Amino acid sequence: MSQKISRRDFLKITGVSSAALAALTGCGPASRFVVRKPYPDMPEYNQTGASTYFATGCRECPAGCGLIVRTQEGRAIKVEGNPDFPVNYGKVCSRGLTAVQGLYNPDRVQGPLKQASRGSSSFEKIDWETAIPIITSALLKNEPSGVAFLMGLAPDHLYDLVAEITQTLGSPPPLRYSALGMFEGRTTLLQAVNNIFHKDSLPFFDLANADYVLSFGANFLETWLSPVRYSRAYGSLRQGIPGRRGYLVSFEPRQSLTSANADEWIPIKPGSEGLVIAALTKLVAEIKGIEGASDHSELDVAQVANTADISLKKLQEIAHAFASADHPLAIPGGQLASHANGLAATQAILALNGMVENLGKKGGLFLIPSTSVASNFSEIQALVSRMSRGEIKALFIHGVNPVFDLPSALGFQEALKNVSLVISFASFPDETALQSDYILPDHTPLESWGYQHVLAGADRPTYSASQPVVVPLYDTHATADVLLTALKESGKVPYQDEVDFLQQKLLPLLQRGGGFYTAPEILTFWSKWLQYGGWWTPTEGLEKPNGSSTPPAPAANVAELQEGQFFFVTYPTLFGDGSGANRPWLQETPDPMTTVMWNSWVEIHPDTARKLGVKDDDVVKISSPAGEIEASVYLYPAIRPDTVAIPFGQGHTALGRWAEGRGCNPLQVLNVQFNEAGDLAFGDTIVSVTPTGRSRKLARFESREGVYGSQH
Amino acid sequence: MANTENTGKWGMVIDTDRCTGCMACVTACAMENNIPWTGEEEAGYGRGMHWIRVQRLWHGEYPEVKPEFTPTMCQQCGHAPCEPVCPVFATVHSEAEQINLQVYNRCVGTRYCGNNCPYTARTFNFFDHEFPTPMDFYLNPDVTVRRRGVMEKCTFCVQRIHKGQEKARAEGRPVKDGEIVPACAQACPADAIVFGDMSDSESQVSHIARSERRYQLLPELGTEPRVTYLKGGGYYGG
Repeated sequence: MSQKISRRDFLKITGVSSAALAALTGCGPASRFVVRKPYPDMPEYNQTGASTYFATGCRECPAGCGLIVRTQEGRAIKVEGNPDFPVNYGKVCSRGLTAVQGLYNPDRVQGPLKQASRGSSSFEKIDWETAIPIITSALLKNEPSGVAFLMGLAPDHLYDLVAEITQTLGSPPPLRYSALGMFEGRTTLLQAVNNIFHKDSLPFFDLANADYVLSFGANFLETWLSPVRYSRAYGSLRQGIPGRRGYLVSFEPRQSLTSANADEWIPIKPGSEGLVIAALTKLVAEIKGIEGASDHSELDVAQVANTADISLKKLQEIAHAFASADHPLAIPGGQLASHANGLAATQAILALNGMVENLGKKGGLFLIPSTSVASNFSEIQALVSRMSRGEIKALFIHGVNPVFDLPSALGFQEALKNVSLVISFASFPDETALQSDYILPDHTPLESWGYQHVLAGADRPTYSASQPVVVPLYDTHATADVLLTALKESGKVPYQDEVDFLQQKLLPLLQRGGGFYTAPEILTFWSKWLQYGGWWTPTEGLEKPNGSSTPPAPAANVAELQEGQFFFVTYPTLFGDGSGANRPWLQETPDPMTTVMWNSWVEIHPDTARKLGVKDDDVVKISSPAGEIEASVYLYPAIRPDTVAIPFGQGHTALGRWAEGRGCNPLQVLNVQFNEAGDLAFGDTIVSVTPTGRSRKLARFESREGVYGSQH
Repeated sequence: MANTENTGKWGMVIDTDRCTGCMACVTACAMENNIPWTGEEEAGYGRGMHWIRVQRLWHGEYPEVKPEFTPTMCQQCGHAPCEPVCPVFATVHSEAEQINLQVYNRCVGTRYCGNNCPYTARTFNFFDHEFPTPMDFYLNPDVTVRRRGVMEKCTFCVQRIHKGQEKARAEGRPVKDGEIVPACAQACPADAIVFGDMSDSESQVSHIARSERRYQLLPELGTEPRVTYLKGGGYYGG
């Protein structure tokens, strides 16, 4: 250990935190508490020089992959995939791999803090004995309707607990939001499935066994729904079945990593997706001789091709190939949902799958056998207006950073000023935590208990189990424990502590059976649950969708650009919901398409750049009615000349040393407009681009000589 | 011919048709091998310490433009251009694993090897890179943390090879095919990277390396790379 802590200090720190833990959680069997001892007091299962491996669940995104974390002498060393886990089967993405850089990040909030005034960054350390009564009175003394919880899409167990608490107190149910959920159009997809198949669950696309795939803006190799699951399926699509190679066609205005891997990338005009889908539906219906597609009979396919910037011949070719494929599959993605007609377009894609009869068949469309609930964006907007009107007295924020990852035009930060008490449970001093009265830090995921209900990436009912792989590093407390302790005296919640809550939630799984292991009672079940890193059924159990109805054809939604205007695309990167920006190795990992590291860039087609008179690394201003941002130009050959794109994730003003003051946040130029499902229609944003005359070099991995001149 | 000895002709096959360019291998390598980050300025100067990179080359013109992704690391050449130029024998060929080793405590930093590597697979520590505490807690105890003035590169995760061999020997059995995997292959979400013993003609890696889609990087140099690539982007009947 190289940090300067004397042995006396060290004993003091561990003594205090274990005393606090005992006070919080009450007495109980030692196994429920974290017993992963640090190096000076080595537990018996540990042997010097030998590693211990713990199964746990990944919380970097809502997909809920299973992890195995290698620990040695009480330290988490390396994140690996859980080979048995039916989402990722031993694989793991860049975000998951750098979880240890989140755990061991020097910028973490190390204990409960009280801020002198919001935004002042002047913090006073408090102890948990002071913090808990503040929560108790915020929950019990306020009008129940004045208490609100805003939470991320992970972890699920905390959401379930808070949902119970708010129900008992009579408060509105907690709202969930994640920038990733917004980018993948999760609510729209759920709504579309509900309208067409009358189920509240997400679809599962059997990409691995398909042979002709149409993707409309689904970036399933990057962040969409369950990227590791779909990346694995992509490998099988290509080379999984001997003698066959699946074909992938991707429609979107900017070539994403998924489109880059497609056999054909069709850069259609933003907003014309719905029309193209309607035209494809009409063509496929004609080829297959299906009646009842009458809603599309008026459609002039040649006109659509012209509007969308695709040749009629190409459109007919694609329709033919799709209609005659053995295992055709069409996938509706986040870019599709991000237009004003996003719901209609997503429904039309689901119906297109029904038309080629792939529902519930190998290589086709299935439904996940679990119910999903997501808050839609207009509910968030309703919360913001309630906050502005001063109706919210106490706001609790966990697992989400709304000041950063909501569009600034929504006015969250201004509305926050009218909330009497804001409590953040953030592990990092992020933008929202700095606008809070108290930061009561939760453990980071690798120090936490919990579960995640897998809702998108597993072909069977699946839960991932989280357990602490190391002893909590700092004086942080599990938010579930904090809430339960705060309500203990009121007798309103029937749980001793977080582990008690988790075990009670597991009882139905134990009683129902059907998992690949079973146990006579909960403690044995619990130890298997932790050992395997979750619970799932031994056989697959996807549902076959039925009740397919013909949805109305999506309306035209193509905006006319004025001189100097551009369509605007923003997309999530390795940083996920933006919280990855303070991990130095995610910053240093080059962006796959541009190889840029450590900053934001604007992707502009080389021809457009020439017309604007800008070249690589010139700083331009991107402005919309909602706001303006600046970034360096990257000449990107794979984007429509009438479109510009900025990646999401950088532009932090807080969060830590590696994230702050780097790049720009594209959510600052998004207008607040919705699609029919109440999701943000961020794809309809139109911007103008102005050169600033300045230049700022981007660090790129490509062309080591070209960027800084040949002297280096 | 899996064996209990500390030998084995370790090799790798990368299927570029499966590879999506997602960069999980790059991050996995950094996390396993204690690779430091260098920051925006140094990374921009080309002094990033990546042992594996995903080369992205654009093909075609808009709208038929498409990148080609090639994960590239030290090719563990059988006839390595980096080896004969090292004045202090820091860059040597290992007889046991038949890979190219970099002996950090011999290296004096002439950078001749990096200069001579046709794959630009080597990275040089221009500075001492700091892991601010507690970031150093996750450092892998099996891998040396390198100092300023030392050249480094992909080792095929030699620490994992040794661990696997030791385990097999302790259990009195040969090393099983697929038991030893480097960090990049272990993480790869699309299963594009396969690793194993090339001297065992029945191993998975040997099977795949005989594919009709096989090619190697810069074969005209006669470096006998130990990494085989499989062509992507089309159907080749194999």
